[in-house]
Amino acid sequence: MIKPVEYIKNPPPAKITLESWTEQFEKVPDEEIKRYTYYHNNDWGRYLFPPVLFMVYGARELKRLKLDNSFAALRMWGFVFNETERLFRAGQSDKKVIATMGDLGIIPIIIQSFPNCVPFYPECIWWTPFFRESTELLDFATKLGIPEAACFSRACLSAFHKRAYFPRPEMVIASTGASCDDYSCIMQQVEDLGYEPLWIEIPLRRELQKYLSADKYENAGYPVRFEDYLISEYKTVWNKMTALTGINNLNRLKDSIIKANRLRGLVEEIKNIAGQAEIQPLPALEMMTIEFGNLYGYADMDEWISIVEMLLDLVRERAAKKVGVLDRDAVPVAWVTPSADPYLLNLVENLGGRVVATEYVINQALVPVEENIDPFRALARAFMKSSLNGSTSERVKRIAGMAGSGQIKGVIITNMLGASHCAMETRLIEKELQSVPVLVIDVPAPFGITEQIRTRIEAFMETIR
Amino acid sequence: MTELLTPRERFNLLVIDEKPDRCNVLPLITSHSATVTGITMREYYTDGVALARSQIAAIEEYGHDAISIFTEVGIIAEAMGSEFEYPEDDLPILKTPALDRVEVDKLAVPDPARDGRLRVYLDAIRYAYDALADRYPIFAYIPAPFTTAMMLSNPDRFLADTIRNPDRVKSVMEISLEATIRFVRDIINTGGLPLIVDPLASSSVISPRMFRGLALPYEQALIKYLHRFDFDVILHICGDTTPILDLLPDTGADLISLDKVELINAMGKLSKKMRIIGNYDTSAIMTNKPDEISHRVKEMVKLGMTTEKGYIASTGCEVPIRTPRENLKAFIGAAKEVGWYWE
Repeated sequence: MIKPVEYIKNPPPAKITLESWTEQFEKVPDEEIKRYTYYHNNDWGRYLFPPVLFMVYGARELKRLKLDNSFAALRMWGFVFNETERLFRAGQSDKKVIATMGDLGIIPIIIQSFPNCVPFYPECIWWTPFFRESTELLDFATKLGIPEAACFSRACLSAFHKRAYFPRPEMVIASTGASCDDYSCIMQQVEDLGYEPLWIEIPLRRELQKYLSADKYENAGYPVRFEDYLISEYKTVWNKMTALTGINNLNRLKDSIIKANRLRGLVEEIKNIAGQAEIQPLPALEMMTIEFGNLYGYADMDEWISIVEMLLDLVRERAAKKVGVLDRDAVPVAWVTPSADPYLLNLVENLGGRVVATEYVINQALVPVEENIDPFRALARAFMKSSLNGSTSERVKRIAGMAGSGQIKGVIITNMLGASHCAMETRLIEKELQSVPVLVIDVPAPFGITEQIRTRIEAFMETIR
Repeated sequence: MTELLTPRERFNLLVIDEKPDRCNVLPLITSHSATVTGITMREYYTDGVALARSQIAAIEEYGHDAISIFTEVGIIAEAMGSEFEYPEDDLPILKTPALDRVEVDKLAVPDPARDGRLRVYLDAIRYAYDALADRYPIFAYIPAPFTTAMMLSNPDRFLADTIRNPDRVKSVMEISLEATIRFVRDIINTGGLPLIVDPLASSSVISPRMFRGLALPYEQALIKYLHRFDFDVILHICGDTTPILDLLPDTGADLISLDKVELINAMGKLSKKMRIIGNYDTSAIMTNKPDEISHRVKEMVKLGMTTEKGYIASTGCEVPIRTPRENLKAFIGAAKEVGWYWE
């Protein structure tokens, strides 16, 4: 006979409603709720709470999302949705909260090298309007001078202004250059609010060999001087952090890289197992949330790694038992560019799809960082693998390969209104993926998914099945 | 000052120990909102959508910081069998308590989807939540088990039984708690944040000893249930609670809504332990002139904002149904004028 706690931790896999999660949560023993904390704080640091909590506090989309029913997923969602409070608690407990903007995955490794420093990405607030089904943050950004035609990441400008989503950061590090140019504009507006960002420039990864034969390549696919330039930028960040904290210990940076690699390895394994499992072991929304955790560990890297370890155990177990959350015959697809609206991922699965590969423009946060070379060079090399700042063909090469080998039957591209890389690149990606059917979804503003979008997805699934 | 935050953002900051742009301003505007839409009271307390629309209209009229879903404190008892009269222009009035007709062992936990007018609450929460929960907290006022138990009983017999037949009283309290938790589960699943009201546990009604022995344990149990989910719990007790101020932190409530107590005394005892809500005199808000209201509210808010754990400017109890609109506008305008934390 299964003991109650074991049942709660390992129910038969399913995607369940918020109400079902409330019912299931009531069976979770108190000691389990007390066991998990962030920043090791037993007073305000608990986070093992069900979706209904966050729904009542405004995350309206949770009413219609279906989430994985595992204990590990409960832990993950409680932790992720708790991030706003966590950032404020960090400030209240004298941690230094550092905003890292635009580079998506490398600068936090430097910040995490310094004790009591918590990096976060303000642009990740772009999920909030969708989870809240609210245009408040987007409309407010318009009032601040960022027009409606700009990317959803403009929500972060409002968040800086309102000071209700994260505390005033001790430092803002803003990456520009080969970054999203809409977002560069937004970062400039943040500067106008009285912040003094430390600007760093990230170079475009381009193959200049045929034009500039004097450049050294060393098989990197881009001139080595790009790396050298990035290293100098990262050292500027390091020096600023040293000035802020009084700490200058490169061994800590090496340890931070090892920790980041630990997380990246876990996530890679989850993705591999999930991609090859007979039945999808975790829903696409949970998978995306896991993947995005690589950026900065949702503001508590140690706890996030522990959560991902639990998720890996779950995925292993489900894959081994050949059980999962979708039908066995769900149609394998790849997803390019993050969905922005989480509901889209639910919807595609509801209509028979299975997301087995992703290209969410955060590849630089997924790849291992070299551990046996100078740590700054290792970080620079990892960043130069960024999928966002290279050519379109490089970006979709892996997806195209999967299409060619029949591993996927279609590709879904989410196209963000106003996101310049989407506007420029989506059609190019379609061209690169001519061997496989492609569905482009223009993601509407929050709570804007219409019956027409649903019908298009439904028709696409019927076509590729 | 320009308001930067939505009421939702403002409240969410308060409950994580952050000072919002200004204090939350939340006079307990409940059934008064029916006068804003011009519907009858009977429509208000029998039609959840009408109730929610009235609340939304009141927000548009006055600009306060939350939706308040509430009809009257007998709502759970009614669903368990107590009979009420339903006046056209006033709130329901208890006619026959359920325990006058059946024994306690015949009481059943009501189904909120089916029994009494619990559905009215859920309909109202659902409508209000869909309309504006991204920008406003949706408070659902829930009678605490002690108040429900009293509404199930002849009050005199119930109080006498606390001495003569404590087992019976315990049985009534237990099933009242069970019914409340059942209802609360549906309320949170619908999007409402429970605000526990225990008017009959007031020191104007029962002694501190009885509060400690009978009301408090069930308030604690209900709050414990909500705390497992990490909800921030508001407790409102009407009337004079001066004799039990020291006991209020023991309830576990995170925010305490006070009525007829000296605010400065309450702050002295509570402000390090609980966030304080209150407490403009409810009669005065109906009878005073706007200028006087404005003056007194400003004094109250300036004092309240010095509380350590946070403060919500409010009335001591429900705003009377026929309160003049200009009085409420004076309250809210004054509180907003002086209630700024941010420069």
